[in-house]
Amino acid sequence: MPNLDQSLDVQNTSSEVTKQDVRKAMWRHLITLQWSWNYERMQALGYMWSMIPIIKKVYPTKEEQIHAMQRHLSFYNTNPQIGSPPIFGATVALEAQKMGEAVDSLKIGLMGPFAGIGDTIQGVLIRPMVAVFAASLALAGSIVGPIMMFVLGLIWCALMIPLFYLGYRRGVGLVDEVAGGGLIATVTEWATIFGMMVVGGFVPSIMSGLTTPLKFQKTVEVAGKMTTKTIALQDTLDKILPSLFPILVVGLAFWMIRKLKLSPIWVLLTLVVVAFLTGAIGLF
Amino acid sequence: MASYSIWIALVLGILAYLGIVLNLGPGLWLQEALVVGVITGLIVGNVHLGLVIGGTLTLMSLGMWTYGGATMPDFMTGAILGTAIGALGGGETAGLAVAIPASILMTQLDVLGRAVTTVFIHAADKYAERGDTRGVTWMHLLGQLPWGLTRMIPVFIAVWLGAGPIQHLIGVLPQWFMHGMHVTGVMLPALGFALLLNQMPLKKHWAFLLIGYILYAYLNLPIIGVALAALAGAALYLKLRGSEANAES
Repeated sequence: MPNLDQSLDVQNTSSEVTKQDVRKAMWRHLITLQWSWNYERMQALGYMWSMIPIIKKVYPTKEEQIHAMQRHLSFYNTNPQIGSPPIFGATVALEAQKMGEAVDSLKIGLMGPFAGIGDTIQGVLIRPMVAVFAASLALAGSIVGPIMMFVLGLIWCALMIPLFYLGYRRGVGLVDEVAGGGLIATVTEWATIFGMMVVGGFVPSIMSGLTTPLKFQKTVEVAGKMTTKTIALQDTLDKILPSLFPILVVGLAFWMIRKLKLSPIWVLLTLVVVAFLTGAIGLF
Repeated sequence: MASYSIWIALVLGILAYLGIVLNLGPGLWLQEALVVGVITGLIVGNVHLGLVIGGTLTLMSLGMWTYGGATMPDFMTGAILGTAIGALGGGETAGLAVAIPASILMTQLDVLGRAVTTVFIHAADKYAERGDTRGVTWMHLLGQLPWGLTRMIPVFIAVWLGAGPIQHLIGVLPQWFMHGMHVTGVMLPALGFALLLNQMPLKKHWAFLLIGYILYAYLNLPIIGVALAALAGAALYLKLRGSEANAES
C-alpha cells in the first residue's frame, strides 16, 4: 500500500471537480462497468470510461489527459457490485486531488481483497440463501419467489450508491477500515451458521420428489388364511431415515466436487446419467 | 404444429439481450433464471411453467458464481428457452428437456462473446493514444454487443424457427426418455447444494446442518420455521461464544 496522508480532506478539492462530475462518474461506473468486459484486461475499459469526467476536469492539457487515460487502461477486475463502487469512489477522490500515481497502487491493492469479500458475500452467503427460498416458493407455485429475487437485485443496485460514497469520503483509509474492524468476519460467521441450518432443512424439502415407487409383496398367514401384503419401500425408509435418497444424491455430488475435484459441468453430466439409469430401472 | 410468431421470438430475444447486459451493469435481477423464467411465462401465457422451470434452474445454480470472470452454465437463456418451448405442450418435462442442455451449450457462446470483446479494448488503446474520448466512449458502449448478441440470436432462432421442430422432437421421444428427464429435474438441485456445501465450513459447523435436517425431516417444521430457528441458533451461538471469549480475557 502507498503511504498516503490519512488526514487528506477529499471532500474539499481544490480542482474544478464538481459534485455533478463525481455523480456522473459514479453513474457511468454503476451502470456500465462491465459492458466491455473482455478476457484481456477485463473491466479496465469500463473503469477508464467512468473516470473520464474527472480526468477532463483535472487535467487541462491533452497530453495529461492521454496519459491519465492510458494509466487507467491497465488490467482491472473485481467484484462489480460490492467491491468496485468503494474502490472507484476512493480513486475518484484521489484523482480529483491530482494524485494519479497513488490511484494505480490503490486500485491494484484493493481489487483482489474486494473481489474476495464481494464474491463471498454475494455468491456464497446472500444469493444462495435468498435463491433457495425464492425457488422453493416458485416450485410451490408462488409468484412471491421471483419477486423476492427481483427485490434482491434492486437492493444490490441501491447499495452500490452508498458504497461508492463510502469509498469517496474515506478515500485512502478504506482498506484498514474494512480489514481491521472485524465486522466482516462477524457478519460472515453469522450468515454461515444461518445458511448451514437452512440448507439442512432445504435438502429434504426441495428434493422431496426423489422417492422410490418400489413395492414388495409378501404372503403372510393371518389367522390361518393366506393374505398378500404390499409393503412400499419408501414408507419403510422414511421410518428409518427420512429423505434418504436426497441425502445420498447430495452426498454423491459433494463427494465428486470435494474429493474427486470434478468441475460442476462434469458433476452435472454424471447426475444426468445417474438419473436416467435409476429412472430406467424403476428405482425412481 | 405448435409454434410462435416472429414477434414473440423477437421479444424473447430482446429479453435475453437485456438480461445479460443488465447483469454486466448494475447487478443481478433479470438474468436470474427465476425472474427471467416468470417474465417468459407471462409473455407466452404460462406463468406456472415459468415458475417451475426458473425455480429448478435456480436451484441448480445455487453454489455457482462467476468467480473472477469464470464461465458458468447460462441458466438465464436456458430458462427462457425451456419455458417458451415447454409452454407449447409437454409442460415441465419438455421444458427441462430443453432448458438443461441449452444452459450447458450456452457456455460455449459465453466464451466466444467474452473473447470477441477484446477487439474493443485494442481499438480503445488506439483512440486513447490520440486523446479521442469520443472514440473511447464508443468502444466501451459497443462492448455490450457481443455479449447481448450471443444470447439474443440463439433465443430468437430457437423460438421462431425451432419451436415447432423441437416440440415435434419432444413429442416423439420415448416414454423412458421423458421419465429420465423428470428424474433428472428432481435430482439436479443436488449439484447446487453440493457446490454450496463445498464453500461452507462443513467441518466447523456441521452440527447446524444436521439440526436443520432434523427440524424439517423429523419434526416436519415448515421451511419458514426452520429459517427462524436458524436465526435463533446463529444469534445464540455467537452470543455464547462472545461471552466465552469475554470470560477468558
